[in-house]
Amino acid sequence: MATEQKYDERNIEDYYVSEEPFYVPTSDEIEIFESAYRQRVPILLKGPTGTGKTRFVEHMAWRLSEGLTPRNPGDEALNGSGEKLPLITVACHEDLTASDLVGRYLLDADGTRWIDGPLTRAVKAGGICYLDEIVEARKDTTVIIHPLTDHRRSLTIDKLGSTIDAADGFLLVVSYNPGYQNALKDLKHSTRQRFVALEFDFPEEEREAQIIAHESGCDSDTAERLARLGLKIRNLREHGLEEGASTRMLIYAGRLIKEGVSQRRACQVSVTWGITDDPQVQRSIDEVVTSIFA
Amino acid sequence: MTSSDDPKQNAIEETRKELEQFPAPVLERYEVALEKLAGRLADETCQQWALEGLEIARKTVRSWEAAAEFFDASVAVQRQLPSGQFLKWAKTGTSLCEDSPSLAVAYFKSSPKAMLRLRPRYIDDWANVCRALYRGTWKSSALACRLFEATPDLLETLSFEEYCHFGEFLEILSRRSYDQAGDALNAGIDLFPKITGDVDRFINLAQIVAEKSWRETAVLFDSATASLVELGSAHRAPLISLARRLVITGVSDAAGVLKDGANTVNKVPADTRDRLLEMTDSIAAVSAPAAPEFLKIVPDVLERVTFDQMGQWQSEGVRTARESDEAAITYFKLESPASQEMLDSLSSSIELSRVRDVIQMYCLALTGHTIEVQAAQQLAEKNIGWFQGELPTTEGTTIYMPSVINRYTTKDENFGFFKVISTHQIGHIEFGSFAFDFNVPSVLFDDLRSRLPGATELKAAKAAEEAAKKAAEKPQVVIFGHETPESAVSTPATPEPEPAAAPEFLTDMSRFFDLFQERRLALDVFTVIESSRIDGYVAELYPGVMTMYNMVRAAALESRPDVTDLPAQEALVEFMIRVSLGQVDEMLVPSEHIEAARKLRRLIRQITSVEALVEDAAEATIRAYSILIDIKNEEVDDDDFEQLEPEDEEDDSDSDEDEDVVDPEEVIQQFMGMSSPEGEGEADQMEDGEGEQEFEGEGEEDYSSPQEVDYRGEFKPELSQLLSQMQMMESGEMTEGGEMEPITQEQLEEMMKNAPEMEMEQTEGEEGGDQQVSEMIENLMKELQKRDPENQQFEPGPSQHVDEDGGPLTATEPDTFTYPEWDFRANEYKPNWCMVHEKIMTDGEPNFFRETLAENAGLVAQIKRQFELVIPEMYRKQKRLEDGEEYDLDSVLEALIDLKIGVSPEEKLYWRRNKNERSVAVAFLLDLSASTAEAIDEAKKPSDDWGAPDDPVEYMVWLRSRRSEGLRRTYKRIVDVEKEGITLLVNSLETLGDMYGIYGFSGYGRENVEFYTIKDIDENFSDMVPRRIDRIAPLHATRMGPAIRHTAAKLAEAEARSKFLFLISDGRPQDRGYSREGVEKEYAVHDTRQSLIEARNLGITPFCLTVDKAGHDYMKTMMEDFSYEVLPDISLLPKRLPQLYRNLTT
Repeated sequence: MATEQKYDERNIEDYYVSEEPFYVPTSDEIEIFESAYRQRVPILLKGPTGTGKTRFVEHMAWRLSEGLTPRNPGDEALNGSGEKLPLITVACHEDLTASDLVGRYLLDADGTRWIDGPLTRAVKAGGICYLDEIVEARKDTTVIIHPLTDHRRSLTIDKLGSTIDAADGFLLVVSYNPGYQNALKDLKHSTRQRFVALEFDFPEEEREAQIIAHESGCDSDTAERLARLGLKIRNLREHGLEEGASTRMLIYAGRLIKEGVSQRRACQVSVTWGITDDPQVQRSIDEVVTSIFA
Repeated sequence: MTSSDDPKQNAIEETRKELEQFPAPVLERYEVALEKLAGRLADETCQQWALEGLEIARKTVRSWEAAAEFFDASVAVQRQLPSGQFLKWAKTGTSLCEDSPSLAVAYFKSSPKAMLRLRPRYIDDWANVCRALYRGTWKSSALACRLFEATPDLLETLSFEEYCHFGEFLEILSRRSYDQAGDALNAGIDLFPKITGDVDRFINLAQIVAEKSWRETAVLFDSATASLVELGSAHRAPLISLARRLVITGVSDAAGVLKDGANTVNKVPADTRDRLLEMTDSIAAVSAPAAPEFLKIVPDVLERVTFDQMGQWQSEGVRTARESDEAAITYFKLESPASQEMLDSLSSSIELSRVRDVIQMYCLALTGHTIEVQAAQQLAEKNIGWFQGELPTTEGTTIYMPSVINRYTTKDENFGFFKVISTHQIGHIEFGSFAFDFNVPSVLFDDLRSRLPGATELKAAKAAEEAAKKAAEKPQVVIFGHETPESAVSTPATPEPEPAAAPEFLTDMSRFFDLFQERRLALDVFTVIESSRIDGYVAELYPGVMTMYNMVRAAALESRPDVTDLPAQEALVEFMIRVSLGQVDEMLVPSEHIEAARKLRRLIRQITSVEALVEDAAEATIRAYSILIDIKNEEVDDDDFEQLEPEDEEDDSDSDEDEDVVDPEEVIQQFMGMSSPEGEGEADQMEDGEGEQEFEGEGEEDYSSPQEVDYRGEFKPELSQLLSQMQMMESGEMTEGGEMEPITQEQLEEMMKNAPEMEMEQTEGEEGGDQQVSEMIENLMKELQKRDPENQQFEPGPSQHVDEDGGPLTATEPDTFTYPEWDFRANEYKPNWCMVHEKIMTDGEPNFFRETLAENAGLVAQIKRQFELVIPEMYRKQKRLEDGEEYDLDSVLEALIDLKIGVSPEEKLYWRRNKNERSVAVAFLLDLSASTAEAIDEAKKPSDDWGAPDDPVEYMVWLRSRRSEGLRRTYKRIVDVEKEGITLLVNSLETLGDMYGIYGFSGYGRENVEFYTIKDIDENFSDMVPRRIDRIAPLHATRMGPAIRHTAAKLAEAEARSKFLFLISDGRPQDRGYSREGVEKEYAVHDTRQSLIEARNLGITPFCLTVDKAGHDYMKTMMEDFSYEVLPDISLLPKRLPQLYRNLTT
């Protein structure tokens, strides 16, 4: 093409994580993931928003592609083939139906054409299919994924009348946020018991400061203070806040600070106002902010 | 010189003769008077006089007394009066005597003095004024006499005109009550001289009061005596006139007006008093009843705003007052929102109650614990060891602060002060002041704590030594420290082996303070050091508050006492405080102790580092104490103070990095030595005071504690540790020690006796001190029990269970229904086992509803907004319909594709905006069990419900007693919060247009499940609903099953697509006989669960909201597969309920 393409476009199954995403493990989750992957056991990531679930999946996709950590020298690379491991992410929403995952017929000039959905493509390509916030999706989607999560490892496509056995590298990873109350949205037991579950929570203060500093590029003192702010705000969970301040939020604050926005203001726009609409809680958080930041 | 046939002589003689028939005094006095008068009066007059006297004597049986008095008074009176008037005077007396001799007696008696002040022409009037009081009765005559007697006194201050008015007033009052009139007379004599100039005005007021509400007069005089007197004359008149005007317009409490008015006027600066009264006048002109309220509230208002600002507030009030008297009254009572807002916007002061929620959340955020915020006064009232009531403090779980801050000119600064003190106080919690552990090593110092002997230990060892000496008669070496027990045991000849085992301490803090002999000094030192440590942390971690913090510290420094006025030891403690508050220059210290000061300063510096633990503070205390204890507390001349050079930071930080300010070995020696003073062998030498004498040399003064630093407040480490330990155990943070023995009263007494923080009070009030202390201990015990988690656990009594006999019930009466009950052990239903009695809730007052909405106006608006957002959702496109407004493109495409590939296409190709999409019926089912009567703050207390007797008669008695308790309440109960929640929800549900019913249930036993309808599902909202909500109150037990079944039955009949049953409860289901042997709790839980399953089978979605914090365990069983929520904090209910409702139904 004559004009320079300003964007990068590729098929979803050709998406590889090629550079190491920054990830600070909190415990043995990397090893567990690796082991589960070797055994092709699907994985469920639980935890509040902004605790690094997505980042972790990216990190693992990269790690597994690189085959970086064979257990013993001489072990074959983890995904067997030595090929790169695609990562196909689907953000689930409340209108997501099974055919959005599996695929559908489209009309074209010659009649109809079948087009694979992201899940089908992942199954065929043998990559990691990451269904983010799985509880948000419609109930019929869960039925589709069940056969993929047990010994069958197969995907049935009703409309085509066919069943696809998953390629060897395929693994289903789902995430969900149990929320602070189990009241309204929950994962069915028949679904959740098909996964090994990894719990995510906010990193401890020091580690979080490290993450904030790395991700936002702000100085370490600011990062420490932001981490402290996060910690303090999380104390308000269940007392006016439904969720604690996410690490992501704190990173955004750090980025704004790096851009020269005043510390208090940056926290206000990226933390206080983001986290709640309740004026009184906002006021209280503001007081914490103005205590921690001069 | 007189002859007997002289007519004058005749009359006189005749009188004499006649008088003989009366008792002797009459004649005697006649003779005396005659002798004096004869020369002074013309003969004729004298005769008339004599005859007049005789006439008086003859009037009635008892009138001779009057005659005697007449003769007596005549001499003096005659001097005042010309003869014509003199005789008139006598005649007046005679006519009085006709009415009553006693009147005449009184008249004559008081005449000599009265005549000094009374013009002769008023004599008749005077007599008439008094006579008017006489109505033939004994009481009236006494009153009239009293007025005669009082006349001379009264006339000293009153003009005759005023006197007459007073008489009139008394007459009016006496028609109602002679006693009151008598009292008023006495009070008047007392009062009038003190308010000269305003007497007439006051009498006028009194007269009106007597006419309008005579009972008030006594109070009026009282309050006038109490308050008017104090008031300057300039403001007395306007105030009295004001009161008069108010009384005329219908205010009955004139006394109150005077009292409050005087009180208020005295409180405001002199130059504003006139304006104050003018303001009141202008209010009175518009709304009389509001004026007294204004007078009453002014002092409070002036605490928050300046006088000029108050003027603005007042004029706004006058505008309001034009609307109605009620509006004016609430305005000036400061009860209406408009009034409060107005004042708020004018004032720069901040009330704790207004910012309390914010501060509470701030504290929660900082510490991670729920910290209560309360007014300091409340802690003092608890009487558990804190006394100040004005200073901020904490006892480990609650922070106490002044109720109003008005130190600065802006709101921001005043709020900043709140923030400073809360940051400091919760700093004690956040940075672990109360988590002190005797055995945890410090990070900055070598540990000395474990190497020092405890005072109690020493005492015991000493005693053992004594005993050993006596028994063995040979020197015994006692090793201090932990070996002591062995040494005691190893004394074979001890007759009574002293149990010298290490003493038990309730808290580590107590154990620590036990190391010191001068505990008071140790506490003060520890207080300074620990506070500095907290300040250090705050400075490092919360630089944002430091601007304000430093301002507060600077202010605190300014109010410190002059060091040079203090004796040496105290001067050095003061020096430490000043260092800790950041003073650098002009540090005066006694020259002699300049090196000690340097060391103390270094200790403070060390402790303000961020690594410092509370244990470091303890070690620092030991060191500072060892320095200070060697310093005699003697007067130091001003000249002997010297400025300590400002710190050379580099120099210091270099040298003291590792070096201890004191030599640890020396300290140990010092502690050892000090505890066994040479030569003294008395066992009680350790007692306070006596120990001091040991050191007290010439000119040495008793040590007294320094003045508190305002923002640091009252620091009581021992008590706080004790109290917070209890609390912490609950959250499982102190479980390492396993089970903690319950604390006994004796232990507490022991602790109180030794605690330095208690000393102050004991020494101050010698008398009743003991009683005070024991009262305090009692309160403290209660407080501890309240906090003891053991008490909060659910403990069903042993004989809870009764198997209910009898068979199925039949509903014969109207509005009764029977339902089966699920017996999970038998795995079957018991048919018709429970009887539900449906009743319509009785009507109450609509006020609760209105007030709740008004109080929560902000929340109401918020909920409404949220609900309004739901409405557009109701117009959402509904897709995949067989018929509708238009084709749905997606569906059509799919159908076309299906056609192309030869599959039969879907027929549902249309979409429609479905207006009726929202078709919701909800039933709210409120738990009205007796336990909802508990105060929300104390909802943690054990619920007595399990103690409910099984015998029906006893049960009723138990219930009644519980309910009567409810009548006396002043606190908020769980049920009140339920009511609030429902109120807010109902109000918003009307916006939404959903069908909803509100029901309450309770009951006792299976035959009596009470089911109250507050609003039926198909009933329209009417005025009755708020009235019924008002009546929602705690009743009996909680048999949930039948109530749920009944509600489900009602819902099943409702025509709606989605149906919800919203259960709001405060605890597990329970009732008499709602159990089976061995499975007491489970039975009820399972029946409830079964009823929910039944409801679901009817197409109803149940949801349970409970405020029972312990709810997680049984809710899991009861609500498995159902949605529920356990509210962590009951006060969230009104807010959470609408949210849940919205989430659930959309």
